[in-house]
This record gives sequence, structure tokens and C-alpha cells, in this order.
Amino acid sequence: MPIHEKSLIRPEDLRRQEKLTLEGVDVSGDWSTFIGTRVITDYNEQMQDEIAALPGGEYIHRCWQCGSCTNSCTVNAIEPRFNPRYWIYLIRMGLEEELLRDKDIIWQCVSCNKCTYACPRDVVPEGVMKATAHWLELKGHTAPSPSTVFDEEFSAQVFATGKIEDGRVLRRFFAATGQALRQPWLESMLRGLIARLPLTLLLKLGLATLIRPRTAGWAGARAAISEHVAAQKQAERRALGLAAQEGAHR
Amino acid sequence: MTDLPVLVVGAGPSGLSAAHALARAGRRVVMVDKADRLGGAPILSGYARLVPSGEWARDAIGGMVRRVEADPQIDIRRGATVASFSGDPGAFRVRLSDGTEFAASAAILCTGFTHFDSVNKPEWGFGTYPDVVTTTQVEQMFSSGKGVRCPSDGREPERVAILLCVGSRDRQIGREWCSKICCTVSANIAMEIREALPKSSVYIYYMDIRTFGLYEGQYYWESQEKHRVKYIKARIAEVTSDGRRLILKGEDTLVKRPITIPFDMVVHAIGMDPNVDNRVIAATFGVELEKYGHIRKASSYAATGGTSRPGVFVAGAATGPETIDDSIAQGQSAAMAALAVVQDVVRQAAE
Repeated sequence: MPIHEKSLIRPEDLRRQEKLTLEGVDVSGDWSTFIGTRVITDYNEQMQDEIAALPGGEYIHRCWQCGSCTNSCTVNAIEPRFNPRYWIYLIRMGLEEELLRDKDIIWQCVSCNKCTYACPRDVVPEGVMKATAHWLELKGHTAPSPSTVFDEEFSAQVFATGKIEDGRVLRRFFAATGQALRQPWLESMLRGLIARLPLTLLLKLGLATLIRPRTAGWAGARAAISEHVAAQKQAERRALGLAAQEGAHR
Repeated sequence: MTDLPVLVVGAGPSGLSAAHALARAGRRVVMVDKADRLGGAPILSGYARLVPSGEWARDAIGGMVRRVEADPQIDIRRGATVASFSGDPGAFRVRLSDGTEFAASAAILCTGFTHFDSVNKPEWGFGTYPDVVTTTQVEQMFSSGKGVRCPSDGREPERVAILLCVGSRDRQIGREWCSKICCTVSANIAMEIREALPKSSVYIYYMDIRTFGLYEGQYYWESQEKHRVKYIKARIAEVTSDGRRLILKGEDTLVKRPITIPFDMVVHAIGMDPNVDNRVIAATFGVELEKYGHIRKASSYAATGGTSRPGVFVAGAATGPETIDDSIAQGQSAAMAALAVVQDVVRQAAE
């Protein structure tokens, strides 16, 4: 049926045809806008198990939809679309299409863990949010979030040398996320450091940015960590039914 | 006078329990059942593993049957009903449908219930599509050893829907009560299906979940946490078919969106109706029914298992939806009440 009250319809469900004739009737143009069906026609039966296979998602099947997580949520207070209770339901029942509508909000969890302490069923909703954001990235629905990019740079440095060098982490994080190196907050922090830290410590810091020191005897640890991380990533990809190697988006 | 037998009507869990208790206490019992074998619904309808013990009905209830059949104190009349019942506590006159007459000191009605007939909810496809079955039929699939298969072509169902409250909590068909056991039985069946067919998915469509008491952990959560059974809050509007699979239509109420989902098998979690014979039973024994047609219980605080007529007691699902374990307990309790009547008669005679 052509419709007039378009504001009531989800924008993605509006269908407007430039040129269409149905049974001899011209239904082209704005006056004959159609609505796509809202009917859900199937469940993604793997979804709950896939999220549960990722770190943080293990207890999702305990949820009984009481809403304690959403009620206690820091982000929900300022962004009503951020609704952990609802997403947990969508995942558990395999309503993937509905979850994907919110894919660009889910990663915004600030990990305050108020939900973790409010949840009467010990679902650990904060973990589920983490696992869900991770799932969305692995499945290619979202680009890696800034925090994922940061984490990867941070861990890559630890794995390589046993240490991090803050300047290098920041430089590479800014480069990977397209941010300028000159940030007012960073400059003011650096000025503060230079003004307050003892000279010997400043020299040490400066030296470290140039020569990248390593933890002594790190090679063995590095090998073990790399092996573990690779196995973990492979297990996650297998649980999600993805090819063993990382996909196109990373 | 005092050694008159106690009449027990119905040989299901409550009747078997009452008869056994009376015999153990040294009373004679006449046990009457309209069926040609004892055991009541669990045996006659071929239940599989019982809630909450997990024991097979043929072992658990079958064991109660064998115990009663082996007891010389219990006179069993199969394929018989009570045609007339008169007199007073301590001295009732009983005539059976086969013409035999005898005196009884008390009577216990253990007349049970009737399974809801799903044909009365035609929109849910029972009787129209062979792959729409009832919980009782699934019980029979397990107890017969044949396993859960689609009746249409014998295939293993990949996806099963269980619809709760079929014949319960439904004013449209005059059944306002909750049948009490179907949520738990459905969770049990769902887990059994997932165990037997690990590749299958089982969905339970519900309005409320009433896996009361300890069943909360053992059934409601066990089914979700271990067996990955999904619970969806939706009352299905209709069951149709696309010619290949069954199609469920309804609203996913938490998402506020219509659903049209294909399934291989749809199971009706049928409720417990009052026994279809309750009007006849009430007229024969002179006891009142409550407003839905179950036998009305007297106040529990004065004496357990009483009816509106002194000396006539009731136990189990005859008074409303009841679990097997509680029916057994009530059978014993009614036996105790019947014994008390006999004792009172003796005491009064002595005074």
C-alpha cells in the first residue's frame, strides 16, 4: 500500500520506485512509497554460541531479561539506544538483523561494570558487550573500534619487547586512527612532565624512545605468548565459522 | 462394621498411593477403575521419564501398580465404574456397573483429569498438519523407543517449537486455570529432544514460565544453560504450512516485530481438563464441583482431602491440575483421613 505518514516508518523500510507499474497502475514516485516487510523470517541459530565462545560472552545464556543491566548502565543514561538487555535478547534468540541496526553503538560501552554488579544472574553484561563488539569486528560488520586499534598496538609492543614505550604507542595509535599527532591535551601533558620530572628520568624516557629497550631474556616468553595468542585467535575464528586466517577487514 | 473396606475410585498415582497406604494400615480396599488396566494417565497415555525423578513411568508408576496388584488386602475391579453410592460415613452402600454390591466405610475419589484436546484450538494446526503433535505424543515417541520423528515422513526434526498454555489460561475456550505442570514438562521434553537429537534446535513460546519451586534450576535454567533451549515470549497466532515445513506466525513481543518462522515439528503443551466424567461422578457420589468442574475440596485446615460430603474424600488431579508427586502425597493423606472416619465410627460405637 502506498503510504503518507512516512515519519512512522523506519527509514530503511521505505521503498520508493522511480518507475514502476503494477497491474496497469503507475505507482512511481513519492506518492506511491511502499513499506518493506517488518516480519522476521528466521533465526540465526549460531549467534548465541558464537558470542559465548568469545571472552566475556560465556554467561549470556543465563539472562532472564530483567533489565537490571540497562537500568544501571552509564551509557544508557545519555544514549537510550544503548540497551544491553535488549541486545542480549537479540543475540540469544538469533535476531541478527535487529542487532546489526545497533552495530555502531555497541562498542561504546565504557566498561564501568555497574551492570556486572547489578545483574542477579551473573551474566556479566559488560563482558557480553565486549564479546559482541569483538564479534561484530570479526564478522566484518564494523571496522575495528579505536579501543581495539589501541589494544592491538599496545599488546604488539609488549609481545615484541616485553615493554611498552608510551610515545610509540600513541604515535602509532594516532596514525592508525587518522588522528593528528599534535593534540592540545598531549602537548600540555608533555609540558607538565618536562617541567616537573627530574632530569635523569627525562633522559631515561628520551633514551627509551630512541633505542627501544627489551626485557632481558624475552625471546622465550615472546614465543610462548605469540603461540598462545595465535591459538586463541584461531579458536575464536573457528567458533565463528570464519576462515583460519584473518579476513579482509584487518 | 469397622472392617468394611474403603472404596478407592481410580487407579492413577493418587489412587494407587491411597490403596497401598490403607492396605499397609490393615484396611481392606476395593479399587475400581474404568480402564482395563491400572496406572492412570502415566501408564495409559504412555508417559516417558517423569518429572522430577527422571524415572520411566513404566518403572515408577508400574511399580506402584504391581505393589497394589500383589496386595491381598486390595480387591481390584478393572473396567468398572460406580453406578450408585448411598448411606453414611462408616456404612456406605456401593453398587458397581457390573451389578456387584457391597458396603464401604469411606470412599476416596482419585478420578484424575482428562488431557486437553488440541482440536479445540484449530488455529494451531493440530489435526490439520501431521507434524503438529501434543506433549503426550512426544512422551509416547520416547516411551515407545521410536524416538522423536515427524509423523508426516519419519524424518528427524531439525527445529522444534513447543507452544505453552494450549488449553490453559484461555478464556476463549473456558479454561482459565493454569495447568501447573506443562511448563516443567515442556522444559523436560525440550531437554530430552536436544539430548536425543543434538543437531536440533528447540524453541519454547511462552506467556509466563511457571517452573515453580526447585524446578527453576533443574528445568528452566538447565534447559537453557546446558541444552540451549530458547524461550521466546510470544503467543503464536497461527500455525500454517508452506507445503514443506510448518510456519509459525506471531509477535516477538520483546522486539515488537512480527515473526514468520519455519519449523519441522510443533508440539502443543496441552493442559489438564477436569475429568470429562466429573458431572456423572459428582451426581453419583453427591459431591460438589468447583466452578471449572473439578471436584471441590473442603477446607484443608479442618481435614485434608475432604469433599462437600462427609466420608467421601478426594486426592490428586481430580481437584485441579496436580503433579504426580503431589498426587501421590495427597493419596496417602486422603487414606489417613478415611482411616480417621473408621476410627470415629468405632469410638462412637463404643461410647
